[in-house]
Amino acid sequence: MPLAMAAGRLTARTDADLIQASKRGDLSAFEEIYAAHAGRMKSVAFHLLADRADAEDAVQEAFLKIYRAAGAIQFDSGLAPWIYRILLNCCYDTGRKRKRQAESPLPADPPAIPDNVPLQVAIRHALARIHPQYRTVFWLFEVEGFRHSEVAAILEIPEGTSKKWLFEAKRELKRLLMEGRA
Amino acid sequence: MTFDCTDLERALAVPELLPDAREHAKVCDACRRELWLWSEMSAAAPGLREEWETPDLWPRIRQTLAAHQKAAKPSGVAGRIGWRGDWRMLAGIAAVLAIAVSVFIMKYSRSAPVAPRDSDFLTEQTLKEVEQTEAAYRASIDKLTRLAQPKLNALENPTAIAAREKLLVLDAEIDSVRSTVSRNRFNAQLQAGLAVLYRDKQDTLKEILQSAQ
Repeated sequence: MPLAMAAGRLTARTDADLIQASKRGDLSAFEEIYAAHAGRMKSVAFHLLADRADAEDAVQEAFLKIYRAAGAIQFDSGLAPWIYRILLNCCYDTGRKRKRQAESPLPADPPAIPDNVPLQVAIRHALARIHPQYRTVFWLFEVEGFRHSEVAAILEIPEGTSKKWLFEAKRELKRLLMEGRA
Repeated sequence: MTFDCTDLERALAVPELLPDAREHAKVCDACRRELWLWSEMSAAAPGLREEWETPDLWPRIRQTLAAHQKAAKPSGVAGRIGWRGDWRMLAGIAAVLAIAVSVFIMKYSRSAPVAPRDSDFLTEQTLKEVEQTEAAYRASIDKLTRLAQPKLNALENPTAIAAREKLLVLDAEIDSVRSTVSRNRFNAQLQAGLAVLYRDKQDTLKEILQSAQ
């Protein structure tokens, strides 16, 4: 079973059941949603914010918004894309707030890719240098294991665009990695 | 097909060409290296995932939600107030609400202010004016929404995605507060909270329109 399906499927009760129960104030139902998604949400948030405390705050904020907006959820593309869309927005909000705080600015220029480092380390460095949209698609698809249909639903882009951005991400990464290891 | 190095990029985009690319790579070091990197990137990527324990995160969320539930019983606005269960935040939001209700009533109703001795509740006359004003305000925001929505739907950048999500949450909250207000029409704090939400929505829509220009 693909990772995305494994994480997206909640065994005992369906996503719709859990959301309905959450709307009625059943926090144990909401905890099931948390248990199924929080780990991956932290990873996604960390990727965007590069700080564990900020990532945890963004995940916390996302769950509060999810709880408050549970009545407005559209199940057309499942629960997971909706949850991660809210999370990304929380991360963008946090990122914008950080930009406004002079004492803790976001890193401006990503460092160059060091030579002779393990591939994972080189990829991490190279990711910081590619277009943010390509980077996000790469992260969601290749790192977090979402399918293109899910990436498309999370980012509200056509599935074909998700595939195209992934290709562009990999092409850019390949170029940077080849330069770094030339 | 005769495959040479210039075909590699196309082969990476079109999986059907990959067998030819692999065949070519057997005799071309540069292409072999690129093909290896292409597949290794995907193989190495899951290892980039960050995982760490946060035993206190769910208790924090649960505590905030429990406070939200408790506060939400009298009104949906209270949920916003119960955000982090922090008394300083509660005090701050209470102050904002107090200012907002004053501004809302003074700016839009053009009526005498609510009597200080009964500041938490609206009189019948003031309520009527507030409701009329709210209806007019809502109509103007709906108009703004009709202007902004096509622009917002056409955009795919992170700001637009954030704005769409924010509007979704705001609409849900507005519905919730309006539902509570309908059961407790004389509560000035609820009316003020509703005004704050409308203002937030109006500001968001204005930002969208400005960024689309």
